[in-house]
Amino acid sequence: MLKNYVKIAFKVLLRRKFFTFISLFAISFTLVVLMVAAALLDHMFATFPPETRNDRTITIPYVRASGEHFESTGNPGYGLLDGYCRNLPGAEKFSIFCSHAPVTSYVNGQKTVSYLKRTDGVFWEILDFQFLEGAPYTNENEKNADFVAVINQATRQKFFGSGEAIGKNIELAGERFRVVGVVKNVPDYRQIPFADVWVPISTSKSKVYRTALRGGFVGLVLAHSPADFPAIKAELVSRMKHVQMNETGFNKVEAMAETVLETTAREVSPRRREGNAFELLAAGLVMALLFMLLPTINLININVSRILERSSEIGVRKAFGASSWSLVGQFVVENIILTLVGGTLAVALTYPALAFIGQSRLFLYADLHMNWRIFCYGFGLALFFGLLSGVFPAWKMSRLHPVQALKGGVR
Amino acid sequence: MMRHIWKLVWNRKRANALIVIEILASFLVLYAVTLVGVYFAHNYRQPLGFSYDRVWLVEIDWQRESIELQPELEEEKEAAMMRQLLTAVKEFPEVESAAAMSVVPYSNSTYSSGFTWKGRQVEFMFNRGTTDTAQVLDMHLTAGRWFTEADAAGSSFRPVVINRRLARELFGTENPLGQVVKEEQDKVERRVIGVLEDFRKDGEFSGLQSYMFEHATLGKSKGGQPNNFVLRVRPGVTAAFEEKLTGKLRSMAPTWGFEVKPIEQMRESTLLWQLIPLTIFGVIVGFLLIMVSLGLLGVLWQNVTQRTKEIGLRRALGATAGEVYAQIVSELLVVSTFGLSLGILAVIQFPLLKVVDFISPTVYFTSLVISLGIVYGLTVLCGLYPGWLATRVQPSEALHYE
Repeated sequence: MLKNYVKIAFKVLLRRKFFTFISLFAISFTLVVLMVAAALLDHMFATFPPETRNDRTITIPYVRASGEHFESTGNPGYGLLDGYCRNLPGAEKFSIFCSHAPVTSYVNGQKTVSYLKRTDGVFWEILDFQFLEGAPYTNENEKNADFVAVINQATRQKFFGSGEAIGKNIELAGERFRVVGVVKNVPDYRQIPFADVWVPISTSKSKVYRTALRGGFVGLVLAHSPADFPAIKAELVSRMKHVQMNETGFNKVEAMAETVLETTAREVSPRRREGNAFELLAAGLVMALLFMLLPTINLININVSRILERSSEIGVRKAFGASSWSLVGQFVVENIILTLVGGTLAVALTYPALAFIGQSRLFLYADLHMNWRIFCYGFGLALFFGLLSGVFPAWKMSRLHPVQALKGGVR
Repeated sequence: MMRHIWKLVWNRKRANALIVIEILASFLVLYAVTLVGVYFAHNYRQPLGFSYDRVWLVEIDWQRESIELQPELEEEKEAAMMRQLLTAVKEFPEVESAAAMSVVPYSNSTYSSGFTWKGRQVEFMFNRGTTDTAQVLDMHLTAGRWFTEADAAGSSFRPVVINRRLARELFGTENPLGQVVKEEQDKVERRVIGVLEDFRKDGEFSGLQSYMFEHATLGKSKGGQPNNFVLRVRPGVTAAFEEKLTGKLRSMAPTWGFEVKPIEQMRESTLLWQLIPLTIFGVIVGFLLIMVSLGLLGVLWQNVTQRTKEIGLRRALGATAGEVYAQIVSELLVVSTFGLSLGILAVIQFPLLKVVDFISPTVYFTSLVISLGIVYGLTVLCGLYPGWLATRVQPSEALHYE
């Protein structure tokens, strides 16, 4: 039965090539846009090295300090993270790093700007960087304020050409660091690990950060399992009540532990206070559906036209006793086959689209590739799109009266 | 004639309803993108209020010794150091002029303020500049003057320079010079001494905002020091000067951080990031429109072949090819007008309800006309080939049926 439907479907597709072209154009364009969006989201949030344990990590990126007259929001300070966020229940490891900032260097009179991230030694234990040369610095280096640095591949190229970099000195914003490791480039859409150069926090010029409750730092917690997240969040909230305030004007501080998805949800939410990952996903789905609306109407329109053209075929089948349901089934299957052909085209077109985005200036060190997850999204989307645009025309077709259909006259 | 065509369209309302929805949806999507495009184009033609030619920026990162202990003392030390640094910068032969300011053009930071004025809330962007800021950035004043050194010597009021938009908002048609802008919670009164043409910090594509400048003296001041220098270098100064300048500043204040870069560079990336979303949505909407047009073409084509009998009969009864052509195209126009009217009803709510009040009615209207034109143009274009097909229908062919 299905084999027959498939055969008919291909025959029909080949009969009116212009129509087939229009349908395939619409389907593959729609799916390319959705698949590119899915690929970008996948690369931002899914598990990729160095964030190989990101299902178990949760960050503390946000504090709100308030007083009678002001409220200040932003990254927490080192003092708050170091003094109040260590040894949370269910936490296996805890790392502190600062958000990356550009620093200028001059290499043979040429100006280069690199992104610098200051981290402790545990950072390298929680994240799984791929080292090309050397090894990470340790908590020992952090304690001694050693001027050592881990750099990425691109920075090695900029400063040292193609040669080895271990043991050489690198000058950043007028200070010299000894290179101890070289890692693979990490794209800038992975906010936690991304940087060009990583150095110990203690190499900061001023030591005032040690006591600050606000400003510039992020805490990274590796939990034993994702099930520990609620306990970590709750404990953090209760610990914040005992924070000793050391700045005039503020009397209260609140901090939040968030997954990367929750951070994103908070950043795009209108009031920027709390992020709900579920709402973010729902909003994303609604946007995808809205985007699919126009292509769907378009495809329904074309499909309805194409059925009318086949009214005599339908008339014959009905006259010989085919039920409405089997006709609906046939047409939906035909439409799904069409969308799957379009989906295959879309997968083929997504490769160059991702390559184009990768080499554009949109992201730094973008490494966008097709993977089986994105492929599955694409396949699922094609099926969904096929159903969505096939059911209404099929229902309309099945309602044709056999006599009218045989005559070929339909309204 | 119109009534007749309306009847023809109404008789096929089921089939036409889908086309109406399709046209409505494409119009809405197109309108949204056109609106942003027209808004940008409209902003682009407004005066920027400053020039970025040969202007460099020095971002200064004070590294404070401590946060708790005697902030006043810290601030005084910082101010003294800032004065020394600014003098040093001015001494370079490469530098034409230099000044300090809080928020530099094309930077990500904003500083907004507001107060209650004659019973309503007035919001504006706020900035601080030293005596030379207007000269370095080549800012035009339409009335009054910029700050002078004399202003620094403790006068009884705080001088401010506002832009034309804020002047209009606060004083209407009255002369703003010498007027007092007093905040309720503030003890010192602010007095307007000059009116700027404009200062659009976020660049060419950004919207028009109210703006207020206050005098930064790099001395004792309430509310913080500016932490940026802007300088205009002489023509022909190359990037090599950056290293020289940074080196000098670092040697003077070893614990502070300095970033030197031409503002031109920041301008490029700011404009790029404003244009990227528009470009992405523009490309997607472009493809959507091509898709919809092709679909419409297919549907109309199918309609015409299906209506062979009707068209043939008309030809047999003496209708000319031109009349048949006109019928097909005007039917299409009626359908699209119906869809577009719904669309206009929907989008007209925005200016009427003043949902987004920073977009002017002109921008709304222009983008409405442009998107209407595009959708009408595309639908007519889609009707041309099916219309021509209809004129090829032979009366005999139609009468052969059945």
